Amino acid sequence: MKSISLSHPVIWGRALLLWAWLRNNAMMIVITAIVLFLVLVPVTRLIITSLQIGHPAFPEGWSTDNYVSAFTTPDFYGTLGRTFWIAGLGTFISLTFAVLLAWLVERTDMPLRNLGWAMILIPMAVPNILFAMGWTLLLSPNAGAMNVFLRSGLDLVGIHLAKGPINIYSVGGLIFLDGIRGVTTIFLMVVGCFRMMDPALEEAARVSKASGVGTFFKVTLPALSPAILAAGMYSFILSMESFEAALAVGLPGGVFVLSTLIYFTTRVQAPLDYGLGAVFGVVFMCIMMILLIAYRRAVRHADRFSTITGKGFRPRIISIGKWRYPALCLFILFFLVAIALPFAILLWTSLMPSYRVPSLDVLHLLTLRNFIEVLQDERVYKVLWNTFLLMVVTATATMVFALFVSWIIVRAKGKGKGRGLLDALVFIPLAIPGIVIAMALLMAYLVPPFNYLGLYGTIWILVLGLSVAYLPFSTRLMNGAIVQIHKELEEAAYVSGATTFRTLVHITFPLLFPAFAAGWIWVAVHALRSFSIPLMLAGRNNQVFAVLLWEYWEDTTSLAAAMGVLLIFGLIPLTLLLRRFVTQLSSQQG
Amino acid sequence: MRITVKNLSKTFESMDGEVTALQDVSFEVEPGEFYTLLGPSGCGKSTTLRCIAGLENPDGGEIRLGDQVVAAPGISVPVNERPIGMVFQSYAIWPHMTVFNNVAFPLKQGKARVSRAERNKRVMEILSLMQMEDLAHRPAPNLSGGQQQRVALARSLVSGSEILLLDEPLSNLDAKLREDLRMEIKDLTRRLGITAIYVTHDQLEALAMSDRIAVMLNSRIVQEGSPKDLYLKPKTSFVAQFVGQVNFFDGVVQEESAHGLGLVETAQGIWRCSIPAGMAKGAKATLAVRPEGMSLAASGEEQEANILQGRVEKMVFLGETIECQVLAGSRIVTMKVPITEEISEGEEVFLRFAPEACLVLPEESL
Repeated sequence: MKSISLSHPVIWGRALLLWAWLRNNAMMIVITAIVLFLVLVPVTRLIITSLQIGHPAFPEGWSTDNYVSAFTTPDFYGTLGRTFWIAGLGTFISLTFAVLLAWLVERTDMPLRNLGWAMILIPMAVPNILFAMGWTLLLSPNAGAMNVFLRSGLDLVGIHLAKGPINIYSVGGLIFLDGIRGVTTIFLMVVGCFRMMDPALEEAARVSKASGVGTFFKVTLPALSPAILAAGMYSFILSMESFEAALAVGLPGGVFVLSTLIYFTTRVQAPLDYGLGAVFGVVFMCIMMILLIAYRRAVRHADRFSTITGKGFRPRIISIGKWRYPALCLFILFFLVAIALPFAILLWTSLMPSYRVPSLDVLHLLTLRNFIEVLQDERVYKVLWNTFLLMVVTATATMVFALFVSWIIVRAKGKGKGRGLLDALVFIPLAIPGIVIAMALLMAYLVPPFNYLGLYGTIWILVLGLSVAYLPFSTRLMNGAIVQIHKELEEAAYVSGATTFRTLVHITFPLLFPAFAAGWIWVAVHALRSFSIPLMLAGRNNQVFAVLLWEYWEDTTSLAAAMGVLLIFGLIPLTLLLRRFVTQLSSQQG
Repeated sequence: MRITVKNLSKTFESMDGEVTALQDVSFEVEPGEFYTLLGPSGCGKSTTLRCIAGLENPDGGEIRLGDQVVAAPGISVPVNERPIGMVFQSYAIWPHMTVFNNVAFPLKQGKARVSRAERNKRVMEILSLMQMEDLAHRPAPNLSGGQQQRVALARSLVSGSEILLLDEPLSNLDAKLREDLRMEIKDLTRRLGITAIYVTHDQLEALAMSDRIAVMLNSRIVQEGSPKDLYLKPKTSFVAQFVGQVNFFDGVVQEESAHGLGLVETAQGIWRCSIPAGMAKGAKATLAVRPEGMSLAASGEEQEANILQGRVEKMVFLGETIECQVLAGSRIVTMKVPITEEISEGEEVFLRFAPEACLVLPEESL
C-alpha cells in the first residue's frame, strides 16, 4: 500500500503540510502574535508619531520636523550629556561602594557580617521615589533638616549661611541619590563572585611575596573585573533609565535628564508636544539598544575568564586587623544613608502637622492626624483597590504568559525559526525605558485604530505597560526553570495520550510552580513600587498608590510622608516573602 | 499490533553542520513479538524508537502501526494520538503526584479517558499485577529506582495500548534489580500479548529478552535475527564482538571443499572450519572463536579439532568459570575453563576448538 499523501496530487500534499505545520505550531503562532502585538504596536506607534506633525490623533502629514527641532534645541544636547554624566558618576560611586562592601562581607574577618548583609539588602524594600523624597526633606537648601543642622554647626565656627550648604536639587544631588541606589544591585551581582573565586589565585600572589593590598589590586580585582564590569554596565543602564529621583529632585531644580524631559514634554508643559516627546523616546530607545548590545557582548566575553570553577571550597578569609571596626562603620554609614535617615525623616514628617525640622521643641506637636487623614480620604481606597488589582493581574498575566513563551523558546520542536523570532522579541522591552514604554502605549491607545479597545485611562493599560516591561525578566526566569525539568517528564505525558496543552497544565506547570511563584511575587512587588509607567499613564480612574503619593507630595508633604510610611510597611513583608521563595528556589535547584 | 518501519531516515542539525542519525532503516515487528534494537551509543537506536513514538519526526520513510500510517512524507500523527505506551530511561515519574495518580494519568488526561470508577478499577488492577497496590498512595519520589520503573511500566500499560516502547529502561538500575525486572517485563508483555520494541546497549539484556534483535551501527541496521542466530552466525566481526566475547584471527583461505569444511591459514596455525559459499581460495578472512568454544586439550595431536598452543598469562576467577588469557604466538586469546581445571599461570597449554565453533567472516574494515 502506498502512503496516503503520495496518492494525492502535489498541491494537496503542500496544503496538508501547511495544515500540519499550523496545527503542530498553533501555540507558537498564537503566542508570537500576542508578543508582536504587545511589543511592536507601541514601538511602531512611537516611531510613526515621531515622524508626524500635529496631534497624533489628527496628524497633519509626514515630516522630519520633530527631529529637526529636537536636534536644534540646545537644551537637548545638554540633557543628553547630563543623563550620561549622572549615570556614569552614579555608577562609579555604586561600583566602588558595592565592590568594597562585597569584599568586606565575603572575604574579611569583619565583625557582624550577617548584619552587614542585611544592611545592604533592606533598602530593596524602599521604593526609589520614597528614598528621593526622604533626601529632599533632609537636604533641600532652605529647610532641609540636615542643612539646618549643618548651618547651626557652621554658625559656631563663625560661618553664617542663609541656606545650604548642600543643595540636593542639583546634578550633584542626583549623582548622590543615583550612586547610593545602585549599590544594592551591584552588590548582589558581584558578591557571588567574591565567594566563589578560587583562593588559589590569591594564594599564589601571596606566595610570590605580594602584599595584602597589592594582592587585592593586582590579582583579586583584575580576576573579577569581567564580573564587576558587567555589573557596572548593568547598573549604568538602569541609571540611564532612572526616573524617580530625577523627578523628585531634578524637576524642582530644573535639572532635566532624558526620562524627565520626556515626562515634561508629554505630560506637564503646555501645550503638550507628542511629536517631540516621541523623538526623545526614539533617541532614548536607540541609545539603550546600543548599550544593551554592548552589555551582552561584555557578558559573553566574561565567560572566557573562568576565575570561578565548580569546585566547592571555603574562600580564604583575610584578616584586616585594626580596620575591622572602621569596616563595620562603613556598613552602618551605608545603612544610614540608604535607608535609616530618609526613612526617619519621612516617619518624623508623617507625625508632624506639617514639615518641621526635627528638634525637641516641636515634640509636643507629634500627632497621628496625617495617618487618620490619609485613611479617611476615599481616594485612598479607590487607589488601594487599583493597586491591588494592578499587582495581582500584572503578576498573574505576566507570569502565565512568560510560562508559555519560555516553554516555546526552550522546548518547542521544529526548525526553530519562529522560536528565534520569539526569543528576540521578548528581549526588546529590556531596551525600552519604562517611561518610553508608557509614552508609546499612551500614543498607541489614544488614537485609532487601537483607541477602540477603550484601554486608555483604565487600569488595564497599566497592566499592559508593566507586563511588557517585565516580560524580559520573567521569561528569562522561566527559561532557566524549564531547562531544569527533564524533557522525558513531558514526553511521558505525550505518550500517555495527553495533548500539549494538557501536558503543560498538568505536568509542566505544577513542576514549575516554585519558580512561577517567585516570579509572581517579584512582578507583584515591582508593580507596587512601579512609578514611571503608572504616573505617565495616569488618568482620573486608574491611579495607583505611587501616583497618589506623588500627588500628595506636590500638595501636602506630611500626608505624602504618612502614605510613604504605610507603603514601606506594606512592602517589607512582601520583600521578605520574595527572599524566602528565592532562597528556596536556589536551594532546590542546587 | 504489527509495526512496520520502511526506509526511515533522519538528520539532526548540530553546531558543526548536519549529523546523520538514521539511514534507510527498515524492519517489521510481528504482533506480540519482543523486538530489540541493540547497538552502541549514538548508533540511532533511540532515534528510531522516538520516531515510532512520534517524539521525533523522520525526514523520510514511513512508519505504520497496525494499518495506520503514522509517519510518512506529509503525514505526522501527533504523539498523543498514537496507540503506544512508552517507558523512559529516566523513569520520568512525575514527582508532584502519588503513584496512583502517575498511573491514572493516561486514563484521566489522555485520549483513553474513562469514568472515575473504571479508572480506579483499572489502575488498581495494573498495580496489583505489579504487586504495588500497597504503594498506590505514596508520593512518587519516595520510591526506589526499581519501584519507580515499575510505576512507569504500569503507566505505559494502563490504557491498554498494544504497543510498548522501552528506551533503555533498566540502565539506571543495579545489576540484581536489572535481572529481576528483565524477566518481569518479558513475562508481562507475553501475558498481555503486547508488541514491544526494546532499546538497549547491553547485549545480555537483548539476548535474554528478545524474540528478535536488530543490531545497529552508524545509523543503520547491520544484522537482524533471533538471539541464537546473532550469537552463532554473526555476519560481521562487529556483530560478533558486540553480542559476546570473541577471539579474532586474521587468515587466508587455503582450500575449499565440497561439503563445507575447508582450511584457513592463520599466524597461529592451519585450521579446519566451515567456509561460507562465495569465498574462494586465497580470499582474506577473519576467524572468530568464542571463549566458551575453546577447551583444554591433553596433547598437541587431535583428530577432530583444531589445536592452538600457548602459555597461560592471567587467570580471572569469575565464580562459575575461570577466564584465562592465553598468549598464543604474539597475541592474547581469551577462553573459559571449568573451575575444577587444575592449571596455573605460566603453564604451557594446548587449546582445542571444533571446526563448528569457528566462524569465518569476510575481512572488513572496522
